[in-house]
Amino acid sequence: MAYEKQLEDLAAREAKARAMGSPKRLAERKAAGILNARERAALLFDPGTLDEVGLLAQSTRPDMHGKTPADGVVSGFGRIGGRLAGANVADFTTYGSSSAEVHGKKQGYVRLACEKNGLPLIYLNECAGGRIPDIMGAAGIGRAGEGGRYTRRRSSPVLAACLGLTYGGGAFACINSDLVVMRKGAVLAVSSQMTTSVAIGEESDPQNLGGWRLHTETTGYVDAAVDTDEEAIAWIKRALGYLPDHANALTAPAPFDDEARSDALLDIVPESRAKTYDMRKAIAAIADAGSVLPVKDRYAKVAVTALARIKGRAVGIIATNPMFKGGALDPDSCGKIASFIVLCDSFNLPIVFLADTPGFLVGLESEKRGLPGKIMNFMAALELSTVPKIALVLRKSFGQAYLNMGAGRSDATAVWAGSEISFMDPAVAVNIVYAVKKDDDPARFEELVKAVSKDTSAYDLAAPFMAQAVIDPRDTRAYLANQLDIFSRRLTGGIGEHRLADWPPAI
Amino acid sequence: MKRTKVPSEITGKVWKIEAKPGDKVAEDEPIIILESMKMEIPVSAPVDCTVVEILVAEGDTVAEGQTVAIIES
Repeated sequence: MAYEKQLEDLAAREAKARAMGSPKRLAERKAAGILNARERAALLFDPGTLDEVGLLAQSTRPDMHGKTPADGVVSGFGRIGGRLAGANVADFTTYGSSSAEVHGKKQGYVRLACEKNGLPLIYLNECAGGRIPDIMGAAGIGRAGEGGRYTRRRSSPVLAACLGLTYGGGAFACINSDLVVMRKGAVLAVSSQMTTSVAIGEESDPQNLGGWRLHTETTGYVDAAVDTDEEAIAWIKRALGYLPDHANALTAPAPFDDEARSDALLDIVPESRAKTYDMRKAIAAIADAGSVLPVKDRYAKVAVTALARIKGRAVGIIATNPMFKGGALDPDSCGKIASFIVLCDSFNLPIVFLADTPGFLVGLESEKRGLPGKIMNFMAALELSTVPKIALVLRKSFGQAYLNMGAGRSDATAVWAGSEISFMDPAVAVNIVYAVKKDDDPARFEELVKAVSKDTSAYDLAAPFMAQAVIDPRDTRAYLANQLDIFSRRLTGGIGEHRLADWPPAI
Repeated sequence: MKRTKVPSEITGKVWKIEAKPGDKVAEDEPIIILESMKMEIPVSAPVDCTVVEILVAEGDTVAEGQTVAIIES
């Protein structure tokens, strides 16, 4: 056969590259139930669709020749549920998938191809940080900066899974992604505990330094935490289902079972506005069955941000949750919402606001944490966004929070019958304006609350056409679906202006 | 068994104490209910647990981050 020797040589080189790094490390991973890079790539892409690039790439350092198969990253393109996408999958068994010249060139190649051609990009990440000795010395760190690019214009979606020890460039790639899932046990940090112990004398458990609890509850950098590699990859695929291929495309609609009325809302939402409830249950009653994917569910719980579908249409839902802090928006929840607005606006997802809030959480702690600035950043994101927005008030919405939750700044504003809207809760207003407290003079207090409550009803907002509708709670789903039909048309067919595309990546 | 301090997530007044030492409380079920922002706001169990100690009384004012109960899980 012609080319026989050459083809044998090619096959042998490819087999060696596909074998990845240390057999001992591969065996250890298998024993621990952790997938290797090629197993992960196989799970991510539809069978047989991976078109790999740089399989035979390796370190350019003479002393490393033959020691870095694929230079520690499986890169390429393939289909996910039939959709073309790019991916960089870290091979930790090859020098910890550490950042080095060729390793970075491969990842950059796939990233740029995705940006230019409108393809989603997936990172399945682990990273020991900068490769030593490559990164050492002045030229080492200088070289690391050459050709690197950190900012992105959100031209196509980027999703990341943090699946092991992920430091340096691997951590930064996660931060720069639109959505991040983390396997419990993985670590995302600038540098490892070994470095921090030497650099600043601080001993820290890796999980405290960058584990799933830190990033889902304290920093908010991780959107969801799961137990296994398989669950992380399934989460990535599910999340991708809500996003279009790129910023100039729309998410495909999905089939749904229609329910004309959201009857369960009358039981989920207590009539007394002093009573709390879990807004997530209300969202489940409004959205298509089983369609809600929470984003940052464990972080700044006052705000609920979720991807969902309403009558098949992919939307972003932003809500206050009375179950936490009474639904009073705190500084962290402002950042959470602003970053979610950026995601929705960048990828043409209409936003549904559901407000049931006593206002912003005032007080010393909030001020110390920069509440005024956070409120304005939130408002900037809201006002710059051009996607269709529908704002709905459930029961109550007071003060600046009423405005931040989209009321009067959306394509349509509606309120549930029985809702109260004002500058502040009438009971608080009586305390402040009349200096009368309930315990001191109950009769006078009630009389004044009644007086202050005048002109705060849903109808007082509807009369000057500041709300376009007062609705029966049971009609919430149908109302939102109709408004989304009307306002998602646009003359651009639903493609927004993407004025938030350059918004900084982190909360 | 691990002992955990349960903090108040908001400044407010203790309105009602829902659980006493020895009670088993499921995750997200209220241990204490505060009144704040004119709302009844629960301080809920972070995990399935047994209440070891309640550190506040009805009518007390609590600050954000103040430990209001100790649980064992």
